[in-house]
Amino acid sequence: MISWSTGQRISRTRGRVSMGKILAVATNTVRQVVRMRIAVVFFVLLLVILPVLAAASTGDGTVKGRLQTFVSYGLSLIGLLVSLLTIIAMTYTTTADIVQCQVHTVLTKPIRRYQFILGKFLGVMIVDVVVLAIMSGLVFGITIYSPRLFRIDPEQMEQLNNEFFTARNALRPTEPDVSKEVEELYQRLVTSQELEQVFKGLPREQVIARLTQQKRLEKRAASVGQELMWEFHNVRLADPNGSLFIRFKYNVSSNPIDLQISSQWLVGDLRQLNQGVQVGTPIYRVERKDPVRTFREFAVPADAVAKDGYLAVAFLNDLDNDTVVIFPLDEGLEVLYKAGGFTANLLRGVLLILVRLVFLAAVGVFAGSFLSFPVAILLCLLVLFTGSTSGFILESFSFLGKNLSVIYDYTLKLLVQALPRFDLMNPTKFLVSARLIPWSLVLWQGGGPILAKALVLLATGLWVFRSSELARTTV
Amino acid sequence: MQYAVQTIGLTKIFNDWWGRPKVRAVEELNLTIRYNEVFGLLGPNGSGKSTTLKLLLGLLYPTKGRAIVLGGDGDDPKINRRIGYLPEESYLYRYLNPRETLDFYGRLFGLPSKIRRERTEALLEMVGLKAVANRPIGTFSKGMARRIGLAQALINDPDLLILDEPTSGLDPIGTKQIKDLIRTLASRRKTIILCSHLLADVEDVCDRIAILYGGRIRAEGPVKELLQRSDRIQISTGPVSQQTIEQIRQLLAQEAGQVDVSSPMERLESFFMRIVSEAQARAQPTSGAISTTQIGSFLAGQPSGDLLERLTESVEQPQPATEQSATRPIETPTPVKQEILDQLVYRPEDQQDKGQG
Repeated sequence: MISWSTGQRISRTRGRVSMGKILAVATNTVRQVVRMRIAVVFFVLLLVILPVLAAASTGDGTVKGRLQTFVSYGLSLIGLLVSLLTIIAMTYTTTADIVQCQVHTVLTKPIRRYQFILGKFLGVMIVDVVVLAIMSGLVFGITIYSPRLFRIDPEQMEQLNNEFFTARNALRPTEPDVSKEVEELYQRLVTSQELEQVFKGLPREQVIARLTQQKRLEKRAASVGQELMWEFHNVRLADPNGSLFIRFKYNVSSNPIDLQISSQWLVGDLRQLNQGVQVGTPIYRVERKDPVRTFREFAVPADAVAKDGYLAVAFLNDLDNDTVVIFPLDEGLEVLYKAGGFTANLLRGVLLILVRLVFLAAVGVFAGSFLSFPVAILLCLLVLFTGSTSGFILESFSFLGKNLSVIYDYTLKLLVQALPRFDLMNPTKFLVSARLIPWSLVLWQGGGPILAKALVLLATGLWVFRSSELARTTV
Repeated sequence: MQYAVQTIGLTKIFNDWWGRPKVRAVEELNLTIRYNEVFGLLGPNGSGKSTTLKLLLGLLYPTKGRAIVLGGDGDDPKINRRIGYLPEESYLYRYLNPRETLDFYGRLFGLPSKIRRERTEALLEMVGLKAVANRPIGTFSKGMARRIGLAQALINDPDLLILDEPTSGLDPIGTKQIKDLIRTLASRRKTIILCSHLLADVEDVCDRIAILYGGRIRAEGPVKELLQRSDRIQISTGPVSQQTIEQIRQLLAQEAGQVDVSSPMERLESFFMRIVSEAQARAQPTSGAISTTQIGSFLAGQPSGDLLERLTESVEQPQPATEQSATRPIETPTPVKQEILDQLVYRPEDQQDKGQG
């Protein structure tokens, strides 16, 4: 019994000493990053640019537009510069100690190589967290105090609270099943021998994908005087006395002279109209005129939702318009409702940036373990760039010829898919439209896989570092 | 465990990019270094000395053979805990100051903060950099950085001290101090490996040496045995008259045939030491290291107390290592007295007093 408790004590002491060594290297790395002025440059740059950006952002001229522009550019800038800081600091601190031989004095002390690298990693992350916290705090402060600065009236403030200083969930209409129509169209094209003319050499699945997209867009298109209706089921709102927000964007077949579309909207339980039954819940009618190719939104009271959670939204392409109106796929039409607060949402957004930084730091360790500083930095930048534009890359290469497609599938596509999709985890697109960043995105959908990949890279870097000779040929 | 360090057929071959052998840095090295021995590893540039040390410490991996250090592997933290290593260049963090540097290395040994603080201050005093302890090392001269390099190697009071070219870039005072330190540590039964191509330094302090050339040992043994010339006799005396010299010369000439009689020259090292000591005694200002010829208390194996007093005692003790090491008389440096040591310690207020006066 005594020996058992002694063993536990020894184990605890060892753990403390081991952590103490990692912390010693981490503290030293913080000093290195700060005193070699790597962090200072980025810090000062952000400290100067963010207030200037706040003053220069105008957006669409409204206070909401200003804030949206500032938060969007501000957070993007912070994300980019702190990413660059992470890449430079991590690769520098790993490679410089090997090239300048400080590892000779450090690793001949009782510290394991993995402790040394973990210390470096921790040090860079400490700098990241501090810079990120200060800068996002600055963005938060400027955003919160801006409305007071502009002395807006209570009505505008309420609109800001509903449409910007909030976190909303989005309902999107389910895409209709068009597979039967697509198959018929495909067969018709084959029979009429038009297939080869229209889709030269494309494999069947890519032709089907294009035709599906085309058919879905047709379902979201309204010619002059035509009505479109979307239905939502099981809508459960946290605040039944709050508001619903219909967010939409118009694409058009031909531009109207004033680039505006007149429309009429009906929001509510539209089953009551069809079946001619007594009206139980209000149906809201809204007339609007909105610019084309711009996201717009309007609010209706949340009591439009029926008791069974049913909600319908109908759009009428006004007779004044001389064009077909198309609602783009995905974000073309959404119903938003309040699901959280702005502060917590911003915090989750900053955590999304932090997840990216953890991954980049792990790439830095991996690259720095076997590459020289310039090459390691280049690799990290390539990862950052590819991860940030992976959606665009995948989309651009999705319709290749048969032969090219095979090469692409087994090379670039694999590589891009192996990297995290930073573009999907960009917090600005959530915050600008006041959408809720769900914890599930931070922890599981985005954060989890990215952190798992970071762990694999970190472990590989540690393994390479552990098995390498750290001294150079000096004979 | 008979040996502090043992290598068995240790071989290191550096390959080129294609994996072909390019340089045979160390070849079939069988080295044995006993506990409590001051061992000198000699050789010209590129003879494989530093490579051998890096193989011992696990910074390089052997192509063949094995190195056993303190009964284990040189890259095992349990073994590293007992080793102090000064590389051929100091390899310190330029942005840290000496105090932060020593604290950092102390933390790697898991030393409690109180002990780290005590040792840091003692070592800073020993290497004469207390006055510049808050200046970044990047602004130091090579010699000053070397002193901090030495201090970091001693922060754990090591059982095995590995010094690669320890006197490189040091002024004669620093050189002497390192030799004094080696003697003090040797008297505390520590094992020291000294790697150098400065033969006089090695000759002064080492018990045994090995001479490397082309990665192989060409000669190995006790310094005394290797250097002693049994076919020559040297006699030293105090001042004697010319007549007595002539009589001795005739007497010796009858037996030995050839006799050479002359007055011994003072060694440049001791002459230099004397001049600098006089300058320091006059407290002339300098922005460099203030060498005190002191040894850190914990290294001299003494409990904490009045540091200066103990240092004086340690300096005044006779140094047996000098007696065994030469075929010619070696000048023992004049012991530094308490009052001189008092003057050697730099105090900014002294300068102010003089300035005001």
